[in-house]
Amino acid sequence: MASRLLTRSAAARLLSHLRRRTPDPTHPLLIYGAALASLLGPIGDLPAAADSALLRYPARWFSSSSTAAVTKAPMTADGLTVDSIAGKGWTILPEAESDWRSHAAAVAQSIKLIKKRLKWGWILERTKQLAVVLERPDLWDDPVFAGRVSREHGELMGKIKSVNQFEQELIEHIEMLRLAREENDNELETESMSALADMRRSAKEKELNAILSGENDSCSCFIEVQAGAGGTESMDWAAMVMNMYRSWAQRRGYTVTVVEEMPGEIAGIKRATIKVDGEYAFGYAKAEVGVHRLVRISPFDSGKRRHTSFAAVAVIPILGAASSRYQIKDSDLRIERFRSGGPGGQHANTTESAIRIVHVPTGITATCQNERSQHMNKASAMAVLQSRLDQLEIARQAQMNAEHTQSLNEISWGNQIRSYVLHPYRMVKDLRTNYEVSDPDSVLEGDLDEFILNYLSSSLDEADGTTLLDGD
Amino acid sequence: MAWSSVGLDPASPSTSVPFLPRRTRHFPVKPPPAMAMLSLSSRPLASLRPNRPNPPLHRLLRPKPLASTSASALTPPTPLSDPTPPPDADPTPLFLRPATHPAPAAALAAFRRRAAALVPPSAPHLHRHLRWLLAAAAAAADPSSDPALLRAPLGDLEAMWARHVRDRRPFQYVVGNEHWRDLVVAVRDGVLIPRPETEAVVDMVRNVEGFADGWWADLGTGSGAIAVAVARELGPEGKVFAVDVSEVAIEVARLNVQRYGMQDKVEIRHGSWFEPLEDVKGKLMGVISNPPYIPTDDLPRLQPEVGWHEPKLALDGGKDGLEHLLHLCEGLSSVLKPGGFFVFETNGNKQSEFLVDLISTKWSSSFHNVEAVLDFAEIKRFVTGYRR
Repeated sequence: MASRLLTRSAAARLLSHLRRRTPDPTHPLLIYGAALASLLGPIGDLPAAADSALLRYPARWFSSSSTAAVTKAPMTADGLTVDSIAGKGWTILPEAESDWRSHAAAVAQSIKLIKKRLKWGWILERTKQLAVVLERPDLWDDPVFAGRVSREHGELMGKIKSVNQFEQELIEHIEMLRLAREENDNELETESMSALADMRRSAKEKELNAILSGENDSCSCFIEVQAGAGGTESMDWAAMVMNMYRSWAQRRGYTVTVVEEMPGEIAGIKRATIKVDGEYAFGYAKAEVGVHRLVRISPFDSGKRRHTSFAAVAVIPILGAASSRYQIKDSDLRIERFRSGGPGGQHANTTESAIRIVHVPTGITATCQNERSQHMNKASAMAVLQSRLDQLEIARQAQMNAEHTQSLNEISWGNQIRSYVLHPYRMVKDLRTNYEVSDPDSVLEGDLDEFILNYLSSSLDEADGTTLLDGD
Repeated sequence: MAWSSVGLDPASPSTSVPFLPRRTRHFPVKPPPAMAMLSLSSRPLASLRPNRPNPPLHRLLRPKPLASTSASALTPPTPLSDPTPPPDADPTPLFLRPATHPAPAAALAAFRRRAAALVPPSAPHLHRHLRWLLAAAAAAADPSSDPALLRAPLGDLEAMWARHVRDRRPFQYVVGNEHWRDLVVAVRDGVLIPRPETEAVVDMVRNVEGFADGWWADLGTGSGAIAVAVARELGPEGKVFAVDVSEVAIEVARLNVQRYGMQDKVEIRHGSWFEPLEDVKGKLMGVISNPPYIPTDDLPRLQPEVGWHEPKLALDGGKDGLEHLLHLCEGLSSVLKPGGFFVFETNGNKQSEFLVDLISTKWSSSFHNVEAVLDFAEIKRFVTGYRR
């Protein structure tokens, strides 16, 4: 390949060449007179055409001269692009390993995800349409409309540009690294490697921000777990699920408090609610909404038979003091305290401090019995009630996001999201993403991040039009 | 959520036994003679406290009780069926003791296992108590430190736990406090544990016009819960006289007043009902009382936590349970200023109805707007009214 012929002194020339290949997309000519873009001349004159996968975007989009310039994928001298790197399936090793392929693959994966989140296909299409509009000679007859169009076009071009720059950077680092290897320049190699590693970290950060960009993702949340039918075995399973979330949350550095817990008669829980406090608690935990299925030899079955049990999980965001909060009227509340049923007063000694609050118009209730102080239980129950009503409000305001706003009662027991098998083989498999691991113990000890991230990025696939538009 | 009865005796004395005197009484146990004596007068009880080897600091710092009537011959044995002195004879509530006893994590875990093993399956609330006990006994700082610092040696905690589970000593006495309204009220053996029903009294006081700058009396203050809660609502001119005949109650009330910094608002007075209030006669904006109101005949059938461990002095309302309530009603008009408010807690529906009827007929010239007020369980728990 060409790079083999390069000398160290040629590196600078190569880099400047790479940079030249991507014209500044926010150039005034592009925005205000897209037709002029064609004057910038042909750009497809590079030796990259060999990899057909690279040409997905070009094939569909480059026919329009106006946006072609900015959507051209940056490429190494030997034809690697970000997409092709992501598609090569290179093993991604831990960050500490100095392996450029691993770093590059990680960055490429992140970029792919960020593109999904941005609805890359839609952005490109939209930019193209806007460019057509901007070409119209009578555009400025309606200055308000023209202003709006050019502003949107500018914003989209800005997004495209920042992604392209990031891609460009990756390609440059790879080129530099190859160069360094060929020239046996250890210093340059170390430098480039650490630059790649840095990039990997910042890409991960950008990726997370891209995944967790839902309206309420940054909120704290309540996680509720309810045992399915099946008595003690399924109550025990519900308790295991609850423990899994507690340790998951603690690993992530969130604060966990038990709000409500209804213990089973023999073991486990019938139902429980915990509060998970911390940044993005809801964003991650929402991936766990649904029914979790366990298959094992039940310790509660003297006949040692295999049992299948279910636990339902609901996740509710705790909204900040935003305007979307449901306004609760005091007169709509009925506050119930525990009643001993006897003569009460001096006759009775009880530490029962449970509080139940009923929101009369909706029939929604919240209970808290965790604290010794009834006063504090009331405050906690109010917080739960507020969140449940907020959730209802969110659901009412927007029928979308349906999955995340389901309450426990609404979750259909058929909606299984994950299977945990302890017998006859050992496996945890997510039924939505098909992601699986063969070590159920670590998952039950809270090692859930891979499941969650896999689901979150796969749910971006559905939200993004790229797949369809690209025809793959 | 089980909103049914937990840990209570199925017998409900006040609903099954008419409060008016009847000849047909069938008691499994005859009330001990001491109890009959007890019901005759309101007398101190303090002398029977077990030996207290190390008076804690707050007790050494406080002045001596105003009167030392504690050697009365009338003092009955109490607790009734609790012959062994408590192992934690230290009168400082557990939750206020210094956390100076290191306990290795392993020992603590072993204790937790042994303690949980004592809990019968029929009493799931005891698991909650165990959690709360450990929370109250541990130093607040770092719950995961090893060794943990405890407020009592593990051995003492174990004995206390056994007494709670086996002897049904109230959990509040074990940890030394009760959460009442937004307060954490210190309590110990010899003082009535404040009841959740009584919380409503404070709200009734707050609804009285101009309450914040008035003088109030809390008669039979016990732990001082009502006095402290009312004092916290008062304005600069407001004041509460907290009266109790029991020296233990006086000590505990003083501790609670100090803990909430209400020394300037609450004046504690030792004596029986109106006796220590001669100097403020006719000047009170309100009188509050949660006097003993359980009919003597009902005492043997109380829930063990109450009947075996809480002071009879604070429970025994004499025949029909009305003895002290009637005494209070009689003295009321002379201490209240015109327009003054009163609220009494009672044994429930029939007592309240009886008192409302009595006051609005016998003393109709002195009081108006006399009514029975419901508690959260819809029982007519309180009698309120205004002095004309």
